[in-house]
Amino acid sequence: MDFITLGLWIFIVIWFMSSIIKDKNKTFNAIKMSSGLMRNMIGEIIGILFLIGLILTFIPPDTIKYYLGQSNTIVSTIVAAFVGSITLIPAFVAFPLVGSFVNAGASIIPIVAFLTTLTMVGFVTFPLEKREFGVKFALTRNILSFGFAVIIAFLMGVIM
Amino acid sequence: MISIIKKIKNNMFLTLVFIVYVFLIIFIPEKALQSLNNSLYYIKEMLIIMPVILLLTSLIEAWVPKKTIENALGEKSGVKGILFSFLLGSFSAGPIYAAFPVCKTLLKKGANVLNIVIILSAWAVIKVPMLTNESKFLGPKFMAVRWGLTTIAILIIALISSKIVKKEEIPVKESIEKEEAVLNVNNKFCIGCGLCIKVSSKHFIMEDKKVKVNKRILKAREDEGIRYVIDKCPAKAIEYI
Repeated sequence: MDFITLGLWIFIVIWFMSSIIKDKNKTFNAIKMSSGLMRNMIGEIIGILFLIGLILTFIPPDTIKYYLGQSNTIVSTIVAAFVGSITLIPAFVAFPLVGSFVNAGASIIPIVAFLTTLTMVGFVTFPLEKREFGVKFALTRNILSFGFAVIIAFLMGVIM
Repeated sequence: MISIIKKIKNNMFLTLVFIVYVFLIIFIPEKALQSLNNSLYYIKEMLIIMPVILLLTSLIEAWVPKKTIENALGEKSGVKGILFSFLLGSFSAGPIYAAFPVCKTLLKKGANVLNIVIILSAWAVIKVPMLTNESKFLGPKFMAVRWGLTTIAILIIALISSKIVKKEEIPVKESIEKEEAVLNVNNKFCIGCGLCIKVSSKHFIMEDKKVKVNKRILKAREDEGIRYVIDKCPAKAIEYI
């Protein structure tokens, strides 16, 4: 658990206790309402988590390395952005992985595209986002994020 | 039997993933095992974060007044709201799906689309522990430049999104669609007029000048009377949760 998660836990537990002391009924009523919201999401979330396991098995990091290392920068950047959108690997795995590519002399443009779409564009979480916020919201946010991930990547290429 | 079919229908996606796993276990068991192993990390992450998110959304629901959220993140929050959203997103914990219920609660309490997109995106990309990690493996300059560009990009994305998507287009009460949603009278809003009792006395009772639902009623068993009182309640206090 990183320190922010821990901090959040401590903060919430303190707030929760004072909430119970102040008004027990109000607190539990609110929890009942929120768990209604959660109940609708939890099946989807569990599905997503198991789907991620499948994706990681069939698209292992080696495959990602292959696509990031293509010689044509434009093609490899677009492909990297796509690979980043569909995979969801934890950041602490992603950074050492791409760090080793950079050290091996890979171009940073596709790598930045990959890193940015990895977190900002959610292909697997899309159904959930769509259900919670509507198709228009989910589509707009994900498409814009994809586009800007590619733009950021090329700007990084110029700056660095 | 019917309830099982309903459960499957409500969880189509989960069922689909489950079928793929069953397939793998039969035909390529080692791949199934590997996939399960890969998922384990994410399951653990979820178990660590979701209880906090549940409590957080409940506590916001109970104690933070609508006015406060409206001022901090609503239509007139301006630059202050944008800054606040960036901070909120950056100092959050957990993957992007953990942000969904929190953002939904904030939306319900009056936050605008612009700030919600900022919170969601910042929650996904700009995490303080992640930045230190990035700096360690890719260098501080790489991290700083990418962070700067990403922050600007998020702002532009949020501005464009808020022009395209209107707040009314975001479904706020989607649990109404669910068959297992429970009928409830929100006693914060109920003014005790008794209209619902007059129309449908078998479902509602008066208690301390507020109306309560007298037993658990599922959406699946909704009748004409209930539909009528939900529509006609002057305080709009009757709803499924």
